[in-house]
Amino acid sequence: MNMHGARKDLLAGALFVVFGLAFAITSSTYEVGSALRMGPGYFPLVLGSVLVLLGILIAVKGFVAGDTGELGPVPWKAAVLIVTALLFFGFTVRGLGMVPSLLVTVFLTAMAGRNARVIPAAVVAASLTALSILIFVIVLQLRLPYFGPWLQG
Amino acid sequence: MEILDNLGLGFETAFTPINLLFAFIGVALGTAVGVLPGIGPTATIAMLLPITFGFEPVTSLIMLAGIYYGAQYGGSTTAILINLPGESSAAVTALDGHQMARQGRAGPALATAALGSFFAGTVGTLALALFAVPISEAALLFGSPEYFSLVVLGLIASIALASGSVLKALAMIVLGLLLGTVGQDLVSGTPRFTFGLRELYSGLNFVSLAVGLFGVAEILRNLEGDITRSVMVQKVKNLWLTKDDFRRIRGPVLRGTGLGTALGVLPGAGHVLASFVSYSVEKRVSKKPQEFGRGAIEGVAAPESANNAAAQTQFVPLLTLGLPVSPIMALLLGAFIIQGIVPGPNVIDEEPELVWGLIASMWIGNFFLVLLNLPLIGLWVKMLTIPYRVLFPAIIAFASIGTYSIALNEFHVYAIAFFGILGYVLIKLGNEPAPLLLGFVLGPLLEEYLRRALIISDGDPSVFVTRPISLVLLLLAAAAFIIAVLPTVRRKREVVFEEED
Amino acid sequence: MPQGHSYDAVAHPRLGRTRPWAGLAAATLTLAACGGGGGGDVEAAAAYPEGDITFVVPFSAGGPTDTVTRLIAEPMAEELGGTIVVQNVEGAGGTIAAGEVAAANPDGYTVLMHHIGMSTAPSLYPELPYDPLEDFKPVGLVTEVPMTLVARSDFEPETMEEFIEYVKENADTVTLANAGIGAASHLCGLLLQEALGVELTEVPYEGTGPALTDLVAGEVDIMCDQTTNTTGQIQAGEIKAYAVTTPERVESLPDLPTTEEAGLPELEVGVWHGLYVPTETPDEIVQELTGALQVALQDQNVIDQLAELGAAPSSEEEATPEAHLERLEQQIELWRPIIEQAGVSAD
Repeated sequence: MNMHGARKDLLAGALFVVFGLAFAITSSTYEVGSALRMGPGYFPLVLGSVLVLLGILIAVKGFVAGDTGELGPVPWKAAVLIVTALLFFGFTVRGLGMVPSLLVTVFLTAMAGRNARVIPAAVVAASLTALSILIFVIVLQLRLPYFGPWLQG
Repeated sequence: MEILDNLGLGFETAFTPINLLFAFIGVALGTAVGVLPGIGPTATIAMLLPITFGFEPVTSLIMLAGIYYGAQYGGSTTAILINLPGESSAAVTALDGHQMARQGRAGPALATAALGSFFAGTVGTLALALFAVPISEAALLFGSPEYFSLVVLGLIASIALASGSVLKALAMIVLGLLLGTVGQDLVSGTPRFTFGLRELYSGLNFVSLAVGLFGVAEILRNLEGDITRSVMVQKVKNLWLTKDDFRRIRGPVLRGTGLGTALGVLPGAGHVLASFVSYSVEKRVSKKPQEFGRGAIEGVAAPESANNAAAQTQFVPLLTLGLPVSPIMALLLGAFIIQGIVPGPNVIDEEPELVWGLIASMWIGNFFLVLLNLPLIGLWVKMLTIPYRVLFPAIIAFASIGTYSIALNEFHVYAIAFFGILGYVLIKLGNEPAPLLLGFVLGPLLEEYLRRALIISDGDPSVFVTRPISLVLLLLAAAAFIIAVLPTVRRKREVVFEEED
Repeated sequence: MPQGHSYDAVAHPRLGRTRPWAGLAAATLTLAACGGGGGGDVEAAAAYPEGDITFVVPFSAGGPTDTVTRLIAEPMAEELGGTIVVQNVEGAGGTIAAGEVAAANPDGYTVLMHHIGMSTAPSLYPELPYDPLEDFKPVGLVTEVPMTLVARSDFEPETMEEFIEYVKENADTVTLANAGIGAASHLCGLLLQEALGVELTEVPYEGTGPALTDLVAGEVDIMCDQTTNTTGQIQAGEIKAYAVTTPERVESLPDLPTTEEAGLPELEVGVWHGLYVPTETPDEIVQELTGALQVALQDQNVIDQLAELGAAPSSEEEATPEAHLERLEQQIELWRPIIEQAGVSAD
């Protein structure tokens, strides 16, 4: 794991460089203009370039200083489950409606917990869905249909 | 003694049973909704706004204002308890407030927020009553160049928010500025970084960003295998402030209130700037700056006071000039119109009951907030004992519904997932999220004011230094920058900072 | 008009005079409505309206369009014998909301309120996913909010005649504020430049509030905006007004000449509002809605409140699908060349 001790900074720097490049390259496809007559591309192009520069500095500094930050474990299962849950909600809240969409979303999220088991997660899903309905639909009167058009043949 | 007459009239109006009742309902509702994770003040107000449309004008505005600062208060509670800021100023409160909560000091943190807010609210209301007209004239001295310089100063000051590497903090600010450019360009209408998605034309949503960066990223950190970070809070030590705490928050509350009162008047991001400028001021004047970011009570007292004082003085331009300085004030302006009141400089003369009643009700509302929240501290702290396996699905559930319902836009929900992963990776690599959030809020303003100043000056950049206020602000920014990157200072900072795990 | 980044202030709870605690009672209704909001045929038309009707507003809660919508929604609901829910769907100059309604069930339960922006969207957004004429049935015009030509208080010209002359002579230095691409103030500004045959420096703002602030502070020279926003400032003498852009004078500003009187008849523009339903909606339902709209526009409260905004309700002839369609077609043709010539594109 502890290759050079500077992996954190190297990775952080690299990430900033990637983002900076992505923004800068895309910006250059917009009208850039000049410093005194800026087009829509100018500001992000300059910032993107600055970010690339900062990313390089961070990486170089990390390489030189070599701090010993270890990355530690990554909760892959939780990350995948939570992202899936959020995407599922966004994807289905219109079509399935709030109740089924939220039930699945909360269930998936609850399964992300350590040592999570199916039945307690289902209980959490059911009670949180009920609570959300109470708060958002009944008290706050948000117009979120319980069941969407996909379920109505 | 006109002021006394006016205030008298105001209290007379505000003290009718019906207005008292709705001021109370306003702050209570605002607090209740604002405290839900993933629902910030703006969403709260938007959700509750139409409820008020059916009332009498004074009652409606009193309730609306109550919802506003109630929501803000509720937002700070969430920031402290579960590190989930609902708006940018609460992001500053979260820095130290949540650390205090982790150390079992959620009670004092919440009490500090309540007391600081009440004090600041009182001063802000007084300032509003006494100096509304001169303050509003000062606000008009700020054109685009002044604003640009002020935002620059704010961005430089935000470096102080990071307790770690200055370089990384700068990079996070810049990344935040870039994320702020997503959406339609104001000047040309060109959609930028939208991947052809019309839903992104209005830009990314603050709450999505905050829930992703703070909420989801924190959840993932907490679920990292067996190396258990102290997931939930340690044993709660005490609910109330100690004598020492009182001594420590006195200065920060006073300075925060002053800064907030002054900056709140300025259009755009006055109260955001207020809360984090006051934080960096405290960090600078503190004898123990190393405690900031690790549960310094000053780091809660200052931004909370600043934020709340600014919340009051924000009303100045609205009430005296009929000009809204923030989106929330624009909503209130809309409420005026719906009530059949023509907003403008004459409102204060034509509808004195309304204006002074509203001002008096703000103080009453703040008083209710203290009454409501001090006893509730015990309850909030108890909420920390909710098992984590229930709490984090609740955060995801509320945030999904909250961000989706803001504009019935599912992209705000996808954005949570994206920023959750991005935030997790960034934090894991030793970057702190607060500067990114502030860059995101200030980025669009920075670009807007810069470009507008240059359009108005016909491409002459000297406006930034020939206009005195702008020049002073830029000089302050330069000084702040030099202090921030001075090698000795930096070395000290680095020694101080070590990732806690 | 591009909306703010963190500004998505929108609401879509029930309309008007409900109380928060009245929610429990309404919840059962909601459930029934959600279950049965599907089919959209003749059968549905017979019983229309059977549940909640949603009025989609493409701008934020509390704004002028939202205000007008909420104002007419109440008497319309009464007339229809149903409930009208106002829902704000912001973004991309109102094209997101319009796109959603275009794709909604054509059953009369989803209605779009839109303003002049409906007619400029096809020119401003070349990649518009819907066609305002093909994908919608107009229900009727609602109101037209007049606009005023205003300037900072120390702007030199005193009268409209002097204004015309001054702006023509100083075209290269005069700055013209607007509230963002596609906003009413932007459109009026384009028309003004066209009418005067000049090109001014346009200064865009994020919404009317900040634009007006800078005008009051004297940072920019002139602007053209709705009476809703300017009346208070004009009456207080914080800004100077030259003319109103409608054929008739405005009650709340009786001294202000019309642009026609003042010798600039080309500058005639008002922020007209209208209701739309998806194009497949049965005619009987459209008739129901038109009828309810006409009744609502005669409601005294509506008339009074609109007068406060400097506007008047559309007449019974205007509040019809035919008059509305005609206006829409005419406006689309009016704005196309102006927007093309200005080279503005928001896609």
